[in-house]
Amino acid sequence: MKNSNKILDETPFQTAGPFLHIGCMPNKIKINNIYKNDLGEVPFKNKNEIEMITVEGSVFDGNGIALDDVMLETWQCDENGQFFEDNGFARFIPDKLTKKFKLFTVKPGLVENLDRKNQSPHICLSISSRGLNMNLNTRIYFEGDDLINDPILSMIKNSKGNIDSLVAKKIKKNVYVFNVFLQGNKETIFFDI
Amino acid sequence: MNVKSLVKRNYKKQPEIYFPDYKSSVFRAPKNKKISIPSNLEIFGPIFNKNIINKLDNDLTLNFSKNKMSPLGHKIIVHGTVSDQFSNPIKGALIEIWQANAAGKYLHQDDKNSAPIDPNFSGCGRSLTSSDGSYEFLTIQPGPYPYPNRGIEWRPMHIHFSIFGQSFGQRLITQMYFEGDPLINLCPIVNSIADEKAKKSLVGKLDTSRSNIQNILAYKFDIVLRGVKQTYFENRQEGL
Repeated sequence: MKNSNKILDETPFQTAGPFLHIGCMPNKIKINNIYKNDLGEVPFKNKNEIEMITVEGSVFDGNGIALDDVMLETWQCDENGQFFEDNGFARFIPDKLTKKFKLFTVKPGLVENLDRKNQSPHICLSISSRGLNMNLNTRIYFEGDDLINDPILSMIKNSKGNIDSLVAKKIKKNVYVFNVFLQGNKETIFFDI
Repeated sequence: MNVKSLVKRNYKKQPEIYFPDYKSSVFRAPKNKKISIPSNLEIFGPIFNKNIINKLDNDLTLNFSKNKMSPLGHKIIVHGTVSDQFSNPIKGALIEIWQANAAGKYLHQDDKNSAPIDPNFSGCGRSLTSSDGSYEFLTIQPGPYPYPNRGIEWRPMHIHFSIFGQSFGQRLITQMYFEGDPLINLCPIVNSIADEKAKKSLVGKLDTSRSNIQNILAYKFDIVLRGVKQTYFENRQEGL
């Protein structure tokens, strides 16, 4: 480690702007000749034998408008709570017409906390777009799981925070709805991680 | 036992999330304070294999050209290193870039600017850093362009950067500007960062030694991602 006594400043963020697709998902906007596939099209390879879930929803701005120019990125462990360097990452955008995103993935297992207490199954979510000077970090938990004993959710509840915004609602077998509210009385809880 | 954690983010060196001079932030920036949580799964993150990278991915002058026709504008080299806050180079960091062409036009249906597209330029590129944390792109000088904000305003010349280090919590999306561009100080997106030194760190410096060797103007832009700390805890047995 060089200069161990001096900690450098992190490079500051700037907005991803409205044209992030060119760099992050060129095939989605018909720039087809450069990358074979866009990154993060499927979060897990070789999971054919496992039951998958769908997490769908929209990202709403302060006017209640569902946005179609945001990029969502997720990072999660597999059904056994194991994470892998080359699996578990997904990147997606809402559909231009329906304004809904869909994540087709494995329901994550219990995540072992670094202090050895388990965290309830969750997916880490990062949101970037025009108008966001930094990306936003939140988590997707799942209705039906033990949400009482999770250390993060308990901490938020103890400080009178509303954890509803972090919980994907089950609407049918293996289908969950998770909406993100950037502003307003339903504003999603965002984290400083 | 070694426990990893991320260096706490210094928000004084970051842009304001709600910054009305940049109009798009008004209805998108969350109003509540972020809740600080200990990073856990976020300490790890996706690592990208070099077999996803094609030879021309970091050469934007050729990766979209038809019949080896060059894009319009002058070529530039953009290079630098990716390190963490402890000055450790980050190997295998994925850098994705996107930019306007020489006329200030993006190859994107939502770009309403009337400037022409360039059939030989997409503005899309990516690269993985080498073992010493270094990266390099060959591209075209992007043009400045007007956009609707408080009336029409001009974006300084810039290249968008998206970077994955080794941890989801190190994720960075930013923009590099060009030394000497008078539009930098007028730009509300730049000015959403209050700290002058932080602002300056986004300006790529003209690298004359490199420019003279290769007959191509070169700019150097070094990137610092959050540091990952290792803290040692003694494992104590209960009752001792």
